[in-house]
Amino acid sequence: MMTRYRMGSIFWLIVGIYVAISAYQLDLGEFSEPGPGLIFFGAAVILIIFSIIDLSGIFTGQSPKDHQESIWAGTQWKRLLLVLGALLAYSFLFDILGFILCTFLLMVFLFRAVEPTKWWVAILSSLSTLLISYGVFNLWLKVPFPSGILGF
Amino acid sequence: MDILHNLFLGFSAIFDLNILLYCFIGVFIGTLVGVLPGIGPVGAMSLLLPSTYKISPLAAVVMLAGIYYGSQYGGSTTSILVNIPGEASSVVTCLDGYQMARQGRAGPALGISAFGSFIAGTLGLVGLMMVAPPLASMALRFGPPEYFSLMCLGLTLLIYLASESSIRAIMMAAVGVILGCIGQDPETGSSRFVFGIYDLLDGIGLAPFIMGLFGISEVLLNIEKSLERRSIFQAEIKGLLPNWKDWKDSIKPIIRGSVLGFFLGVLPGGGAVISSFSSYAIEKKFSKHPEKFGKGAIEGVAGPESANNAAAEGAFVPLLTLGIPPNVVMALLLGALMIHGITPGPLLISRNPEIFWGIIASMYIGNATLLILNLPLIGLWVQVLKVPYKILFPLIILFCLIGAYSINNSIFDDIVMILFGVLGFVMRKYKYEGAPMVLAFVLGPMLEYSLRQSLRISNGSFSIFFTRPISAGAMILTVVMFISCVAPTLRRKREGIPKEETQ
Repeated sequence: MMTRYRMGSIFWLIVGIYVAISAYQLDLGEFSEPGPGLIFFGAAVILIIFSIIDLSGIFTGQSPKDHQESIWAGTQWKRLLLVLGALLAYSFLFDILGFILCTFLLMVFLFRAVEPTKWWVAILSSLSTLLISYGVFNLWLKVPFPSGILGF
Repeated sequence: MDILHNLFLGFSAIFDLNILLYCFIGVFIGTLVGVLPGIGPVGAMSLLLPSTYKISPLAAVVMLAGIYYGSQYGGSTTSILVNIPGEASSVVTCLDGYQMARQGRAGPALGISAFGSFIAGTLGLVGLMMVAPPLASMALRFGPPEYFSLMCLGLTLLIYLASESSIRAIMMAAVGVILGCIGQDPETGSSRFVFGIYDLLDGIGLAPFIMGLFGISEVLLNIEKSLERRSIFQAEIKGLLPNWKDWKDSIKPIIRGSVLGFFLGVLPGGGAVISSFSSYAIEKKFSKHPEKFGKGAIEGVAGPESANNAAAEGAFVPLLTLGIPPNVVMALLLGALMIHGITPGPLLISRNPEIFWGIIASMYIGNATLLILNLPLIGLWVQVLKVPYKILFPLIILFCLIGAYSINNSIFDDIVMILFGVLGFVMRKYKYEGAPMVLAFVLGPMLEYSLRQSLRISNGSFSIFFTRPISAGAMILTVVMFISCVAPTLRRKREGIPKEETQ
């Protein structure tokens, strides 16, 4: 039976095959005049071979005992997806809303998203984090932040 | 006399208020991340890497190096007081350190750990000063085949020492090479695996890659389960100065740990973690009372804590003399130096003596600062331990986001970091290690360059790697180690098939 532990190797096997084909198309060159695809091809072949070796554990039934249970058992998906969603939203809204507003909203969200925190604690923590990060990165290290549509 | 003269040069380079400040910031942050179990030195260094772009190269490396060896000091505090290692290299300190704390001897445990670290750090520096210059002059004779073989050896050693599956470590090293070489081909100019994305022409950035793989993925791993509250050792910590008997029991383990740690640190792929475990095993063997180990033996704290600090300094030898990073942390330092246009290698000592000797001098200052930070200020670190993770993780995320953005003032780096954060998280769930991937990522372009050059020199013959003595030695070692880590797995699989069939 295929254990979930081995499933990752299927992914890497597909990646290896894709890279090997693309590297071949890039031009492998000759051994005396290596082309730009050679290193990719070599690494991809290694990846394919060892993915297959790892996958062969499916047929021999070998899998570490502690990996037999579901890898995702007990995972709090809601938390994970909320945080990842917030990170992606931050990246896409950063230039539009500007550093100050976008960072403040992200911080309030993160302080409250994973474990309930009082509103005033979340807002105060977010404000102080914002001030410190703005001071360190913008005023001290001169990192230019976008001001966004609101102008700040 | 030359060494003293050069050391003087190093001290004169760092006796600048700015550099001393960065040294202090480095060791302070190092102790902090060592104390905090949620973030390690690699995460912290990658987080701060972008902020070093605007300071001098010496200040940048002094600060980043400070984070590394500072974290080795701080890691022991959580091991002793909470029984949770702040760093992987402090895992073994939990065994006796926490037991000492339970017996009311938290003070001497913390004290000997700090003093041992200081002595080992100083001895490690002496070793670095002695070994690095002759090795660098020898390395001047190295050509592309030697570099290629040595890098293969470094990667194989890391695979050999992988804590999870060696097969998977090899896979991750291959992925690291692929990712590291993405971008424009330096020789032909053709774009490779950029998928029409202009930002990828220069390759994937080191900082967003590592921040994602170690910083963001660590946060995701921590928040996916209920956030546990740590129970901290409550009794008052007093008597930090070890007594005469403690010193008598500890001095030999400290010296043995320092020598062992330094040499294990020099080896590519070796490092603080292995040296601390090896030191513990050796001390148990040398001890007249091995039964006391695990029940609060001070030797079990002194030896490993000294070893991991000496290893942290030994690791600078291959980086500064050969330009080959032996571990992920050194790979980050290599990246930091190269961003400033300084190429570590055999010519570093002659071309940039102020950088080489400045780093060494800064470690003396850093080690002394760490002693002050870790003994009188222990109360502060205990307070830091009480900061709940729900407050900590938004700060880590924000610093990662701003850090990645500040490299090119581009949100693209943030997106790359988030993607590698998710990849790192899934990799950890499926037990794929990130360290071989990162080392291969950094070594990838150098590997490619030296492979192509070597093949051109030999007109396409791979025998060039086996006909030059240093390259041949490294290659033979690589092949032997590669076989020894792959063969047992293959044998087990072969034996598994008939067993399966009979069932």
